[in-house]
Amino acid sequence: MSLLEVENLSAGYGKVDVLFDISFSLMPGKSLGIVGPNGVGKSTLLKTIAGEITPKSGLISLQGQTIAGKKPEDIVRAGLSLVPEGRQIFSGLTVTENLMLGLTGRKDKSTSKIALEQVQQLFPVLISHANHQAGMLSGGQQQQLAISRALLSDPKVLLLDEPSLGLAPTVIMDVFGKLKEIIANKTAVVIVEQRAHLVTSFADETIVIRDGQIQAKLRPEDAKNEELLRKAYFGLGV
Amino acid sequence: MQSILDAISLGGTYALAALGLGLVFGVLRLVNFAHAELITISAYIMVVTNDLPLIFSFLLAALTATILAIITELTVYRRLRGTGPAIMLIASFGLSVGLQKSYELIFGALPRSAAVAPWMTGSVQIANLNVTISSLVTVAMTIVILIAMGYLVDYTTLGLQLRAASADFKTARLLGVRSNRLITSSFAISGVLAAFVGFIIVVENPQVEPMFGLNITILALVGIVIGGISTLRGCALGGFIVGFILSLLNTFLGNARVYAYSYLFLAVVIILLVRPGGILSKRNEMERV
Amino acid sequence: MSNNKLVGLTRFKPIELLVPLIVVFVLSITIGLLSASLELAVQFALCNLVMVLALQVFIGNSGVLSFGHGAFAMIGAWVSGMSTASERVKGNALALENLWQPLVGWNFNLYVSIIFAMIAGGLIAAISGAFLMRLNGLAAGIATFAVLGLFYNFFFNNTKLGPGSQALPAVPKFSGVYEPLLLSIIAIILVYCLNVSSIGRKLRATREDLMAAPALGISIQKVRWIAFTLSGALAGLSGGMYVHVAGTWQVQDYYLVFTFLTLAMLVIGGSASMWGAVVGTLVVTAVGQVLLLWEQGKSLLGLKIDLPNGARSLIIAASLVGMLLWRSSGLTNGQEFKLRVRNKL
Repeated sequence: MSLLEVENLSAGYGKVDVLFDISFSLMPGKSLGIVGPNGVGKSTLLKTIAGEITPKSGLISLQGQTIAGKKPEDIVRAGLSLVPEGRQIFSGLTVTENLMLGLTGRKDKSTSKIALEQVQQLFPVLISHANHQAGMLSGGQQQQLAISRALLSDPKVLLLDEPSLGLAPTVIMDVFGKLKEIIANKTAVVIVEQRAHLVTSFADETIVIRDGQIQAKLRPEDAKNEELLRKAYFGLGV
Repeated sequence: MQSILDAISLGGTYALAALGLGLVFGVLRLVNFAHAELITISAYIMVVTNDLPLIFSFLLAALTATILAIITELTVYRRLRGTGPAIMLIASFGLSVGLQKSYELIFGALPRSAAVAPWMTGSVQIANLNVTISSLVTVAMTIVILIAMGYLVDYTTLGLQLRAASADFKTARLLGVRSNRLITSSFAISGVLAAFVGFIIVVENPQVEPMFGLNITILALVGIVIGGISTLRGCALGGFIVGFILSLLNTFLGNARVYAYSYLFLAVVIILLVRPGGILSKRNEMERV
Repeated sequence: MSNNKLVGLTRFKPIELLVPLIVVFVLSITIGLLSASLELAVQFALCNLVMVLALQVFIGNSGVLSFGHGAFAMIGAWVSGMSTASERVKGNALALENLWQPLVGWNFNLYVSIIFAMIAGGLIAAISGAFLMRLNGLAAGIATFAVLGLFYNFFFNNTKLGPGSQALPAVPKFSGVYEPLLLSIIAIILVYCLNVSSIGRKLRATREDLMAAPALGISIQKVRWIAFTLSGALAGLSGGMYVHVAGTWQVQDYYLVFTFLTLAMLVIGGSASMWGAVVGTLVVTAVGQVLLLWEQGKSLLGLKIDLPNGARSLIIAASLVGMLLWRSSGLTNGQEFKLRVRNKL
């Protein structure tokens, strides 16, 4: 059974629809990439799945349960977590306080301590900067904090909105390496990215969204195919 | 000495009022004019139940204020979420006037009074100085409450969620913070704080009429703006400053003391000129409202 | 529309201006002629209308709240009232025994005094606006309250420049509905033109996006300041009118009740348009009059409801909150007058 199922989803802001008829499914332990030109609605898609935006029509279900139209705080408890664009860490709070907040959406609080230790192992920077103000961390460190925070709610599906934004190449490699570990731990991952190459070669499958609709589905091998990528992005007949 | 104590006492009272306002503002971006009516109802209840032991009278007042606060949230403010601070502010203005008129209909337009906590009048001798009991008690109470609030905000889960929601409500929800529960809690706490303020004021000024809490609320609102509206500390500080200055003005202006408010407002304007974001903010920082 | 006189007004639609004018004109004349008390009610309503228009031009376009306009009305009313009250009264009234001597002889023609009222209102708004507009929307709103409080406290206690907490007597009254009506019409035209002018558009741009506006070369502070000053002048006009309808100047008349009432009128009508200001004033005045009748135990068209005193304000407050809950853009839904609804948006 698919872990995350999106069917004929349409969403937008106010009277303006941004996404039309989006459908895809995600299996446990798999990763899905989402690419497309700027402003096409990739962030909107993630926000809609995470509950920040109410869909206009369509179905979203997590492990067979409908989550479309539910509140974000309930969707987190159901096992889906979003790492928002720009990280959105609480810069006035300490690293540890940020992590504590991540535990808010955790259903099984008895395993909180273990979970905390796990993310700290995954991202040692959380230990070394435990009591520092989160706003003092570098971009890459903040990204690690944001991911850890989202992981603490014990999600079965982790959504990431442009995790590589503003990060140096080596840092990006590091973060994506950690994402591989996370996926290996049976958390399914959906990544929205600007860097088409990066995510296409990384994810099990990548969908290309253009003009509000899915135009193409790519496999990791396709990442080397410049021609294919360009066609998918710019719609010159795929 | 008494003047300093008075100033601290008034400052503390205003700090509590400002804190109540700041709590709700933090999570909802709502400037709640109706907070005045929470203070007023607390005072009314205390006066009307004055034959009961003080502690029961106060608990009743606090309960009423808290319930009223929660009702206003459930019926009005919840439906206005997302409409913007201006609309919510006007709504709170309307709610405030509506409640004032309701009090007029229920309690009458003439003041109700009773000697609440008469043991607080009078003075004691401490180290050769004569100080009023009420100012001592007020200062002690406000210090205790402020410390308790500080603990709540800095060391409890609720406080952490409040701080997070004040900084970034959307992201807090994405992490699982239950927005409705949090907002209702803020209103409840603000109701309790309002009850304390109502109690403190009614001891000194036992004439309760529908506009009882209006003065302090307006000044406390001004206070949170000059203190720094985006942090609870800033709000409390701003409230304290306003109360402190007002008290000193009253004491030292002599005959010109009727103009105390004018001087106060002038001082406020000057502070805002220098620090538009409030005293605790960095220079020229503006809150994006 | 290529009409040289209207160069610069790009969204001017004659019907949007004409209909409100006609409505106000017709209603004022017909109702004002029905009885003496109704004439007074219409006169007061027209004063309120000008104030609501003043609020609309600033709040509606900038999105910044102001609770301070009562102060500008207060000043305008003071200027107009002081300079038209009879010298004999100023010199002898008990409330004015400490009056600064030059003020006793201070005397202008009524219309001149109203012009001065506008100037005074605009001036005070300009001065206070110079620093108020540096503040962000919310802080500015609260700070405007401080301005109102300042003026109220000052005038309430000062007996050198005015009657303090008492009333200034013997201010000449308007002879009928026509004078305030004429002034209201001028105000309506002014506000409409401002709304459709480039200042209006720039101001609305700052309301929509605080970050984008400067990128377009719009100085947020400057544009807000201009609007604030102009609306202050209109508030001054409102005060100047009020004082000649009431025949007296009393500081309480321009404080919280006035502020609340005019704000309620604006919100209920719809703060985004001049038509909203007109509709709001009309509706709230009408409802208020009916409620007043019932409060007084009278019947209207056979219907009589016993209302206790104070219920009227409660109902208006409840209507304000109710309107915000139902439709925060007010009865006019943020639009100027439209002949028909062209597309259902």
